[in-house]
Amino acid sequence: MTLDQILSARPSPGQPRTYAFPNFERTVLTSGLQVITVDLPNRPLVSANLLIRRGVSDEPADLAGATILTARAMTEGTRRYPGVELLEAGERLGATLHVDASWDAFTASVEVAATRLGAALELLAELVEQPTFPESDVARLRDERLNDLLQVKADPRRRVDQAFNATIYTTDSPYGRSAGGDEDSVPRLTTDVLRGIHRSVLDPRHAAIVIGGDLTGLNVPRLVEAALGSFGGENPKHEPATVAPRAESAVDHPIVRFYHRPGSVQTELRIGHVGLSRLTPDFHPVQVMAAILGGLFNSRLQMNLREEKGYTYGIGAGFDMRRGAGPFSVRTAVQTAATVPSISESLLELRRIRETPVTAVELAAARDYLVGVFPLRFETPGAVVGALGGIFVLDLPDDELARYRDEVEAVTVEAIQKAAQDHIHLDRLAIVAVGDADAVGAELAAAGFGDLEIIADEVLAGGGAAEVAEAADEVTE
Amino acid sequence: MTALSVRFTDERLANGLRLIVSEDHLAPVVAVCIWYNVGSKHEVEGKTGFAHLFEHVMFQGSGHVAKAEHMALVQAAGGTMNGTTWLDRTNYFETVPSHQLELALWLEADRMATLLDALNQENLDNQRAVVKNEKRSSYDNRPYGDWFHKLQEHVFPPDHPYHHPTIGSMEDLDAASLEDVAEFFRTYYAPNNAVLAIVGDVDPAQARAWVERYFGEIPANRTIPALGDMTLPPLIGTEAREIVEDRVPLPRHFFGFRAPMMGDPRLDALDVAAQILAGGKGSRLYRRLVRDEKIAQDVSFFVLGLIGGASIAAGQATVRPGVDPAVVERAFEEELELICREPVTADELARARALIETFELEALQRVDERADRLAMYATLLDDPDMINRQMGRYLGVTAADIQAAAAEVLRPENRVVLTYMPAGEAATGTTDEETAA
Repeated sequence: MTLDQILSARPSPGQPRTYAFPNFERTVLTSGLQVITVDLPNRPLVSANLLIRRGVSDEPADLAGATILTARAMTEGTRRYPGVELLEAGERLGATLHVDASWDAFTASVEVAATRLGAALELLAELVEQPTFPESDVARLRDERLNDLLQVKADPRRRVDQAFNATIYTTDSPYGRSAGGDEDSVPRLTTDVLRGIHRSVLDPRHAAIVIGGDLTGLNVPRLVEAALGSFGGENPKHEPATVAPRAESAVDHPIVRFYHRPGSVQTELRIGHVGLSRLTPDFHPVQVMAAILGGLFNSRLQMNLREEKGYTYGIGAGFDMRRGAGPFSVRTAVQTAATVPSISESLLELRRIRETPVTAVELAAARDYLVGVFPLRFETPGAVVGALGGIFVLDLPDDELARYRDEVEAVTVEAIQKAAQDHIHLDRLAIVAVGDADAVGAELAAAGFGDLEIIADEVLAGGGAAEVAEAADEVTE
Repeated sequence: MTALSVRFTDERLANGLRLIVSEDHLAPVVAVCIWYNVGSKHEVEGKTGFAHLFEHVMFQGSGHVAKAEHMALVQAAGGTMNGTTWLDRTNYFETVPSHQLELALWLEADRMATLLDALNQENLDNQRAVVKNEKRSSYDNRPYGDWFHKLQEHVFPPDHPYHHPTIGSMEDLDAASLEDVAEFFRTYYAPNNAVLAIVGDVDPAQARAWVERYFGEIPANRTIPALGDMTLPPLIGTEAREIVEDRVPLPRHFFGFRAPMMGDPRLDALDVAAQILAGGKGSRLYRRLVRDEKIAQDVSFFVLGLIGGASIAAGQATVRPGVDPAVVERAFEEELELICREPVTADELARARALIETFELEALQRVDERADRLAMYATLLDDPDMINRQMGRYLGVTAADIQAAAAEVLRPENRVVLTYMPAGEAATGTTDEETAA
């Protein structure tokens, strides 16, 4: 056979190996703390994640940033371990301890060799239960946040996200705010405020610890009981705070907000509106629809704006889902001269996914990807533990992950169109951009996408430190 | 902790393709990773950015695969894929459910064998536009965005292949022609210039048979031109300083040093030093500049291993508002001087070793990372078994090794200092010219 003959015959897939999402077990300690364990044989690194259903969206507006600042400040010293001594004790175990907060939850986590799990849990407990919130360190962390806000203003990508969220939500929704707080709220975040947040977090009835890895020979509930048995014991209990936050739309007709950044060689674009809660009953059709629109590498947006027009390095669209209705957005950066055509083409794709049924080929591509990639997503303990944590935080059914592939398999063309029509709203789109208004302002005004507001440049400038190491890395496709 | 052992086979097809297979049935997934021994260091003047532009063209179809179909087939198979280009090499990879391995191998073979059958001006022009937008979004429109390119310019002399950035220049990207693409393909995309690693839930005999079937008939190129001599003196020679005006609110210093090549034990020692200097809140630079003196917003220090004459060791510190940038530079440099002058403590070394051990184990849990490293060590060091020895090398680094390597590398006459200043402030900037003793 010639090489051409060999390559002309496309291979067909073999027999798939059966895969099931790993089984997990749940134990409830006397305090109410749930212990969720998942045994993953031959995975010597164990991932442990303590989650409390108390997140950024639970904090009052005037104290925006308090939850994340509390999380940051908890690694600044505890009763037994002043300063960074606790983190150093973790390092001696080869473990990095993290405390963080999302919109829905407060989390403390560690990844450690199975043999050192007990010792690592003791440190995790100390970190969560006994932080001292030193005045000078909290002041420093406040300053760091304020400095970071300067960097946000100067970085078009961070700036456009902040502006987009502030645009689409009413001011009484936490989702319109910056999770880390703003120039007004951060100075109010005193150690007393942080202690108050910390007390509210110490509630075992809203807490679970998820532990996954090779747990052979370990009695995990007993290790957790030893370390975290008195978690929240001395604190008053409050009622379950699992009410979705307000997430109303501040936009009732199409608008364009363009932040002028002179000389920008690209326009950072976000187009969208208030989207959906993770608890939406049509979660799976929405996922498939979003994959076709802007999730797959060959999504409609990507094929149009990248592979045909070359306007951008990449474009995506999707729903950022939380307990309440997170944003739906189209996200891209396009060369300045292509700003108006890029908006036009994006709007065209949003209209098309609503008006025209997807083809059977498109449905198959999205469905087969989401179903097929499922085992790849859960190769490591960290990924399995993360997914189970999400189930706990949002009170999703225990079989949510086990059912996932069947649910996606069952999605139809009709369900996709209904999801698009129900959840993509062209009549209240916000188009928010950061770019050079001198270069595109007139064309934008003439295009008539919606009420246009051009916001003058406030600052010249900067980027987040996290991006630095990344920028040094290789150039990817 | 459990010592990690990656068992693999290492062989060559008759046409020179190096095949590495490693079996691991823990998860029903398999990673395919192919490294071509060509990177931006192979580019000549007037053709910068070409290796990376070419990498994009590799996704535009081949003899039996249509434009964008590579992505479509891999994703429909439940897989993930990408390609990357760097100074020393270009790689392409897919991770797929194990029953889709043959598809991934066929896709890679088809473009290695028949890329030029699908090449056309329209696709080249489209990807040229995409890559120019990649350059804008990753570098040109980003605050502090060109810092690494500037370090390259100072760490490597103008006639050295590491002097220019992998992304290239807009002018050179504009000038790239179809004939350039064809020539590049014929020269470098040959089986004897590639390493193929397959790791995961695989039957090695079956995998070998498929590789033989799809790649075995692809002709070798026996006349791949050798790279010129990339040897460099170990030190830059004199300190290089540059003040860069940018639209940034906070000044930031970037530090760069010429360092020993990948595979040199001194680079391992510098990797451990980087952990002690800037890895986490207990590290020296973080503790002093961020926590104690509160003069920096953030710090980092790291090593980028290369094989063409020298590597780069680099660091950065963002200056807090109201602080003299010279004070931050001085403090940063004093910490580097200290690690050259005195051995690190036993506790610092023990913490760094324990963390590195966890990081390595964490990374190697994944089949795609193992495939990438096997192909990397085979391509760059001709030594895939380094995957099993690298951890031991890190754990064997002593305080004396760190001090010796630091003293050789972190010297003022081997240093680049870039200082980004908010536009309009650079003229009045107070960065002083005093160099470390």
